Amino acid sequence: MTVISEPLSPPRRTASEPRDIGGIIKLVAVSIIALVIVSPLIVLVVGSLKADRFQILADMGTFRAFWVENPTLQNFRDMWVFSGALPFGRYLLNSLVILFCTVIGGVFLNSMAAFVLAWGRLPGRAVILAALVALYIVPQESIVLPLLTIINRIGLSDSFAAQILPFMASPLYIFLIYQFFIQIPRDIYDAATVDGAGPFRIYWSVFLPISLPVLATVAILLGIETWNQYLWPLMVTQTDYARPISVGIASFFGTGTVYWNNAMAASVMMMIPVLIFYLAFQRWFVSSFISSAVKG
Amino acid sequence: MSTETLTAGRHRRAPLWGGRFQELGMLLPSLALIAAFLLLPFLSSFRIALTNERLIPRPVPARFVGLDNFQKVLTDHDFWQALWNVARFTVMVLPVQCGFALAIALLLNQKLPFRNFFRGLFFLPAITSMVVVCVIWATLFQYPTGPFNQILGVVSFGMAQPIDWLGDPAWSMPAIVLLSAWQAYGFQMIVYLAGLQGISDSLYEAASLDGANRWQKFWHVTMPSLRQTHVFVLIITTIQAFKLFTQVNILTQGGPRGTTETLVHYMFSAGFVNQRLGLASAVAIILFFIVLAVSLVQRLVVRDRK
Repeated sequence: MTVISEPLSPPRRTASEPRDIGGIIKLVAVSIIALVIVSPLIVLVVGSLKADRFQILADMGTFRAFWVENPTLQNFRDMWVFSGALPFGRYLLNSLVILFCTVIGGVFLNSMAAFVLAWGRLPGRAVILAALVALYIVPQESIVLPLLTIINRIGLSDSFAAQILPFMASPLYIFLIYQFFIQIPRDIYDAATVDGAGPFRIYWSVFLPISLPVLATVAILLGIETWNQYLWPLMVTQTDYARPISVGIASFFGTGTVYWNNAMAASVMMMIPVLIFYLAFQRWFVSSFISSAVKG
Repeated sequence: MSTETLTAGRHRRAPLWGGRFQELGMLLPSLALIAAFLLLPFLSSFRIALTNERLIPRPVPARFVGLDNFQKVLTDHDFWQALWNVARFTVMVLPVQCGFALAIALLLNQKLPFRNFFRGLFFLPAITSMVVVCVIWATLFQYPTGPFNQILGVVSFGMAQPIDWLGDPAWSMPAIVLLSAWQAYGFQMIVYLAGLQGISDSLYEAASLDGANRWQKFWHVTMPSLRQTHVFVLIITTIQAFKLFTQVNILTQGGPRGTTETLVHYMFSAGFVNQRLGLASAVAIILFFIVLAVSLVQRLVVRDRK
């Protein structure tokens, strides 16, 4: 999973060596391309600090899109309302609650199931595993409507549970962790059974502590997926009670005039949690996406 | 996974029933959730597609209508337009997104200071939520004074009229393509980076000995070595493209004049907005078989190679 992290370690030779003019040109070129690519995000952050939507639109076509004369945090203050037309404080908290429950629950449920499938003694494990791999191909988009009828029938519509329970356990993540578990040397499992530990003890105190990389991968992928959910919460939430921030931001577009200042501040708030995790675990983020790809 | 690894836990000492119950307790929660919220809805979509069920049940019970829904869908002009649009989107987004991803990967695969930093920067759009991307790009596409129209004016020396990117039937899909590619290329980029790093240096050295220039090395060493990566990237991007929904639902609602209507948006309108669950399920099943077919193509190509 960490295949690409190692070769990407900072190269010894740097552009500061005098003979490497080509290197400097390359560095400048890459910097310019990177700046162009990231500029929409800069425009977003700068825009969220502007006084109102007229200012944002007036500046948008000029270089002032990258500059703000009198930065204000008013747009962010406007967000901290928990009732009213667009209670963004509430949406953000809802998203965080859904995120933490889904990721923590998902990591434990998927890893427990993967442990039993990899090292358990229950009969029929190979069949279950094959069924899970087959189910993995079903796209979320093609099951959301029947899922909505099921959720309505069991009385979970417009709830947090409706946004957490269906996405905690996932064939893909069980399979990812399973592939990690089966590579763990048998001696480790044997040593634990000799001590008389039951399956849960072995899973909890032997396997979990040495599986941090794959658990982090699952947490990151599941976290991003949960944070960005849109179609499902759009259908399952009818009130502000459990509505996540993604649907809240999208509702800016429903009306005739879009309050770009508020929409941009809300967007920045939606990005901040992801950015914090990204900065802290950048290397793991990238390798997570790779492993999801290679195994998929 | 060989049978060896699958039965890794077998023939240990005397099986403890307590242990088996524990195992059951560890496995069941996941299986129950997957059965209830993935398998059951998947199977029931096949049943619902054969009925005239509504999202909010009517007093009259739903009726079995055979293949009526499929017939309705397949004779609906809007459905074919949605399918055509998604195909159009795929054909446009594939070269833009994958080409750009490959170009950046090639750039980052060279000796370069701060390479990890740049890789982190180039990956930023990929962790940006599509809803946020819509907020940003809607302002970039502003008519008539947004940055894209300003650039257009400068490049054409003021000759070109400003374009209503999201509101003009001719430009709505290219605009959606552009913002989608910007958001998603980071993923293909890191896949290509991993692929590039798997190419042995000795291949390039051999090519150098044969007197190959950089361009020849790219076409005769890099590209053939990336064949597997290309297949994977194209398949994944195609599957993603067929699920196009969020940006279209937020920015254009399928308009103008149906030019950005997509399969998932068509399904969403039929099933959720118009409550016609049977009809929408038929579309969902068609979408599933398209995704399945594309994945099978991948399996075949990859197996072929091995």
